[in-house]
Amino acid sequence: MNLLVKRATITDPQSKFNTKLCDVRVVDGKIQAIGNLSAEKDEHVFDAKGALLTPGFFDLNCAAGDPGYETKEDIQTLTAAAAAGGFTGLALLPQTSPVVQSKSQVEYIINRAKNNLVDVYPVGALSQNREAKELAELFDMQSAGAVAFSDGDKAIQDDGFMSRALQYAKGLDALIMVYPENKSIAGKSQINESKNSVLLGMKGLPALAEEMHIARDIFLATYNETKIHISNISTAGAVALIRKAKKYGVQITCDVTAHHLVFTEDLLVDFDSNYKVKPPLRSKNDVKALIAGLKDGTIDAIISQHRPEEVEFKNVEFEIAHYGIIALQTVLPLLLKAGLDTSLIAEKLAINPRKLLNLTVPVIEEGQEANFTVYDPNEKWVYNAASNFSKSANSPLIGRELTGKVTLVFNNNQYRAS
Amino acid sequence: MAADKLSTRHLLGIKDINRNDIELIFETADNFKEVINRPIKKVPSLRDITIANIFFENSTRTKLSFELAEKRLSADVVNFAASSSSVSKGETLIDTVNNILSMKVDMVVMRHPYAGAGQFLSRHVKAQIVNAGDGAHEHPTQALLDAFSIRQKLGDVAGKKVVIVGDILHSRVAISNILCLQRLGAEVMVCGPTTLIPKHIHQLGVKVEHNLLKALNWCDVANMLRIQLERQDIKYFPSLREYAMMYGLNKQILDNLDKEIVVMHPGPINRGVEITSDVADSKQSIILEQVENGVAVRMAVLYLLASQG
Repeated sequence: MNLLVKRATITDPQSKFNTKLCDVRVVDGKIQAIGNLSAEKDEHVFDAKGALLTPGFFDLNCAAGDPGYETKEDIQTLTAAAAAGGFTGLALLPQTSPVVQSKSQVEYIINRAKNNLVDVYPVGALSQNREAKELAELFDMQSAGAVAFSDGDKAIQDDGFMSRALQYAKGLDALIMVYPENKSIAGKSQINESKNSVLLGMKGLPALAEEMHIARDIFLATYNETKIHISNISTAGAVALIRKAKKYGVQITCDVTAHHLVFTEDLLVDFDSNYKVKPPLRSKNDVKALIAGLKDGTIDAIISQHRPEEVEFKNVEFEIAHYGIIALQTVLPLLLKAGLDTSLIAEKLAINPRKLLNLTVPVIEEGQEANFTVYDPNEKWVYNAASNFSKSANSPLIGRELTGKVTLVFNNNQYRAS
Repeated sequence: MAADKLSTRHLLGIKDINRNDIELIFETADNFKEVINRPIKKVPSLRDITIANIFFENSTRTKLSFELAEKRLSADVVNFAASSSSVSKGETLIDTVNNILSMKVDMVVMRHPYAGAGQFLSRHVKAQIVNAGDGAHEHPTQALLDAFSIRQKLGDVAGKKVVIVGDILHSRVAISNILCLQRLGAEVMVCGPTTLIPKHIHQLGVKVEHNLLKALNWCDVANMLRIQLERQDIKYFPSLREYAMMYGLNKQILDNLDKEIVVMHPGPINRGVEITSDVADSKQSIILEQVENGVAVRMAVLYLLASQG
């Protein structure tokens, strides 16, 4: 199949065409030519009208419900939502039932996602049943295609287990991604500890719970001389800790969700459970520090933290509502709203996540595999039941007009235009 | 003279009402207080109104107080008591309440173990909601009757110094009281063990004191909260005995203060823990007045809400 993308502004800091307005010809899944090109006979033409063409986005941290919770999301709806949001690759967390912790389960995910526009890479469970007692069979899962290991949103409390897991994974050169929370400090809290939590009459989750846990992991990574990846950091203190650790040469990397760059705890005043996320929404000051951390390289990547939930688990009293929002389609508008420039978005949302997992990074150059996203950072669209591709609708942005629209995604010799 | 209408359709918290609303409630409660001291304690004000008291948490006195208020206004009253475990049995809060509302109920008085349950419900059902306590969030009618009782005893709330003593962390009474007293111009202090005072509470503009004697010497009114052991998921202090030693109010302390302070308690009292019996029964205590005023204040709230439909 041939496709000619007319008038696209290349947005790829790795490419010599970066920031240039060009036409891009794709033949049989490869970028054949970039320049001033005219349409050939029988060629599909897509007019980008000056919109940005950037390496396809990659999400390090999303969840579906396949297998076990297919009423939340299955692989097909997950990848449809991903493509609509500009993602051409996903690392899928093992929080399913059963937990993805063996070769056959890894293969199941890979097979379910075969021939899809969106590449789906399974993340295997670090511990059996995500209980942080016994290690899962990491080598077997890695051989079958697992790209990293994580217990997902379950923070690992046992220090000794965490240390052994890092040691073992080091032998496999495997990346471990961890959720940072000291549970004994966090207690039963669900929202950020501040004046806000006092007024809402709920126990507060102090930044301390996240920061103590990250400090522990810095010690463990240092001692074991190995790498570690901290998922969804949310506090100014966490940014400061990791910045310092990186300066001292600790092999630590981290990411932040798009919604933690825009939303703050002030949004919780009406007890809207669509703002109930984990870690909790924090203060304006934290948001500022997270954005600074992205800009200075402390934070390596941005994640969607897509967590589909049925209405029955969300449209209930705040304290019993499940955590999480569906996010794949709203990452880009949120990043633009946070004021990130488009080159930084390419770095944090397309290039770095793949580097962290040792995957091939798409480059917008002639002769490269065609794996790209075209988006207009100024185009408005409404996120509603008609435009939402997820099976779930747990997003505070449903019904809102958003700015920043994906108009084309191309990967695996397939494309989806909207 | 305050405005003649409340600025809100529900009473979910003191957070949502202003000083005018509070003064209107007090003026209305003055009238109802006169009514309930008549030989015939009933007025026909809410004759066409049906009120459901839905309590997802145990309550004796709040429920009784609301029920009396409703009956003295001639409302039709239905009571529904459900343990919070009914949630785990599968029926959601919205379903439970909608079931009751389909029997043509106009107003819901609800107590619920979760913060924000009233707000949540008000977004999903048509009836007017009165929050009778949601988790550790708010208990607006308690705060109103407390302020009303201070006004009755000391003439005015503005300029008075009120200390709230005890378990602030788990108390819905504390937050509502702080907001209500501040709206009326009082100065507020909280006092209790460091583990039971939320870390950021000073940002609400209250003083924080951990020494009971200092707090009592500062205040005009001491509101001694109940220790809610049932709300504490972990141990916040070593023993009730030690709590009573540090924060219990006895007659000897009371008599040795420089001035005569007013002692309050939202009930039910753990006698010998928060306050000793001789303090509870002393002339400085207005605990029973609080109970009496509770009915009048709740009548005022229900009457004013009903009048805006």
